Amino acid sequence: MPIQIDHSVKGKEYRPFVIHVERGKIKEFARAIGDLSPFYLDDAVGRASQWGDIIAPPTFPATFRDESYDTGALLKELGTDISRVLHGEEEFEHFKPIRPGDTFLCRTRIADIYEKSGKSGPMAFVVREMAVTDGENDIVVTVRHITVVRL
Amino acid sequence: MKYATVYYEDVTVGAEMPPLAKGPIKQIQLTRYAGASGDFNPIHQDPAFAKAAGMGDVFAHGMLSMGFVAQSVTDWLGVGTVQKIGVRFAGLVRLGDVVTCHGKIVAKHHGKEDGRGQGVVDLELWAENQKGEKVITGKATAALLSREHS
Repeated sequence: MPIQIDHSVKGKEYRPFVIHVERGKIKEFARAIGDLSPFYLDDAVGRASQWGDIIAPPTFPATFRDESYDTGALLKELGTDISRVLHGEEEFEHFKPIRPGDTFLCRTRIADIYEKSGKSGPMAFVVREMAVTDGENDIVVTVRHITVVRL
Repeated sequence: MKYATVYYEDVTVGAEMPPLAKGPIKQIQLTRYAGASGDFNPIHQDPAFAKAAGMGDVFAHGMLSMGFVAQSVTDWLGVGTVQKIGVRFAGLVRLGDVVTCHGKIVAKHHGKEDGRGQGVVDLELWAENQKGEKVITGKATAALLSREHS
């Protein structure tokens, strides 16, 4: 049964949310990937490094989530559900290292919604962008996430 | 090369990274990644849910495979070098699959002159399953120290 999604969500900005980067979360995340680099896991190695502490792996901002902006809430607004969704693309651009104890502000918006026909039928592409800034209002990382909805 | 500093002068356009094989993927790793990332989509955990959604069986989080691809870059060029990484998820990774990450340098250019003696390299990235089917294609940019200015 084909579905329609609500294109009026395009342009929507979400309430900013705060992330406190936790030491244990960085290590848990690196271990879940199976990346056992001491620069992610060993506090003493981190302290002696150029960053002064352990840092997070490149895809760690995938953990920056908030209830107001999670995929379930977005899918409801779009008029679909999680069983129709695939992850299409993901991009991170890093400007500063992410370290334990950092506090960030995450601002998200729906940058674009478009439809295309693929080999498995019509699909909608929902582009979410997140800008992550620190206490100096410097950009730490930007995230671009494309969700594909099977229509 | 895993922990050695790789300098801008050490890599040439066309150079390929040592392939990084990850897996075979087990359910426990998907459950662990769900907990670590906060992505509890049941399509990665519950075979009945995945079947009802028309996906046949559970499959890995795309972001787990992207994590493998990012590791292949940092294992080669060093932790903290990745400025930008972007991927397209080209195929599903299933339980039992082995994901092998590949990449090569496609361009070199001096980055913004920040006095730290950096050079920037652009990479093309891809990952395949054990059948040689592409599951990820992507690109990355990495900043490397340069011997010239260091």
